Amino acid sequence: MFAQNPTPEQRRRALELVMEIGAALMENGAEVFRVQQTMYIIAHALHLREFTVYVIANGIFATAGTNELSALRHIPICGMHLGRVTELNALSRDMAEGRVENITQAEMRVAFIRAMPPSPPWAQVAASGAGAAFFAMMFGGTLADGLAAAACGSALGCFQGWSERHSMAPIFARLLGSALVYLLGQSIAAACAAVQPDAAIIGALLVLTPGVAFTSAVRDLLHGDYLSGSIRLTDAFLSAGAMACGVFVSYKLIEWGRALL
Amino acid sequence: MNILLSTLYASLGTLCFAVLFHVPQRHYIRCAAVGGVGWLVYLLAMALGAGCVSATLAASVPLALLSRWYAVKARAPATVFLLCGIFPLVPGAGIYYTAYYFVSGQMALFSAKLAEVIKVALALSVGIAVVLSVPLPHSHVYGPKGEVEKAAPFSHFLH
Repeated sequence: MFAQNPTPEQRRRALELVMEIGAALMENGAEVFRVQQTMYIIAHALHLREFTVYVIANGIFATAGTNELSALRHIPICGMHLGRVTELNALSRDMAEGRVENITQAEMRVAFIRAMPPSPPWAQVAASGAGAAFFAMMFGGTLADGLAAAACGSALGCFQGWSERHSMAPIFARLLGSALVYLLGQSIAAACAAVQPDAAIIGALLVLTPGVAFTSAVRDLLHGDYLSGSIRLTDAFLSAGAMACGVFVSYKLIEWGRALL
Repeated sequence: MNILLSTLYASLGTLCFAVLFHVPQRHYIRCAAVGGVGWLVYLLAMALGAGCVSATLAASVPLALLSRWYAVKARAPATVFLLCGIFPLVPGAGIYYTAYYFVSGQMALFSAKLAEVIKVALALSVGIAVVLSVPLPHSHVYGPKGEVEKAAPFSHFLH
């Protein structure tokens, strides 16, 4: 069990652990209120008294005690890893219910969770392609449309993996991704009469739609976290705008290409 | 088109998105079920003559309820099921058509589509937010007869 009356050194270590868990949750796609409440629960379990935390979508500020301990983290808006959120949630349950022996064990579990690998690149490409195909057929596309969408989706998956490895700006990556999907979808439709370009393109574009950002934004807003809600809402609108710009770029490219020919 | 077949595609598509978001494998089937339920209710509402905005609102309610149910049963954050499950209903097609009408200069269609996208997105998030904001009965949060230590506030795990 955790020390009932932690020494200053133990308090510092506990605050470090709480911050680590909060930052890991936020980075991997948890909502503001979940991060905040989880941090309070863990601080309570660690007997870290007088703990206060302020969480916004891209930063965490916390203090413990009146003046002695404070901590600050910046969290860039980045990818999602719901597996890590699930495991951190399980860790916080275990700590609150007294199933974690000591703070070293908790720290090791956090390190282990942070090191959880994302699914391998081939699985991402396959999931992106298959997801695009199923959604194209869900919207009433034929099997041919589904196959075209699978091609667009897999190409998009490859491109996204590449742009993440080269840390391309997310908005720009989204724009280029949607341009790629539109160009490829139209080319396949031009080459093969059985394919409806719209169905194939929409299936693949769904991978890029900022549905997650938008839903989180509204949940934050309705929770009263107006600042975080606005940050995420801006993210959602800019992402949707980038998608639209990508379609615009490719549409113009095709138009000019036709005019030249 | 066959409603059940379309629902099957929606579930499989949602499952693929669960892979993209690195959801733990044990939750794949639950994510697929949440996506399927949302799309099934959406199609049924459309078949009964609802517009796409009201159909989305109607579909978001069972979708969020099922996510919450799974959150309690599988002891995982509802977000995991919710974020994957909403993808069939997300107005991705709407965003595409909005951009397409804009660049091809069909301004009347563009503004109509843009308004529809915003309405659908609002309906989806309002429906979800309403369901998730309803507090759970005390016994569901703490276990029957306070099995779980009362001092720990567990309610947030069920959002």
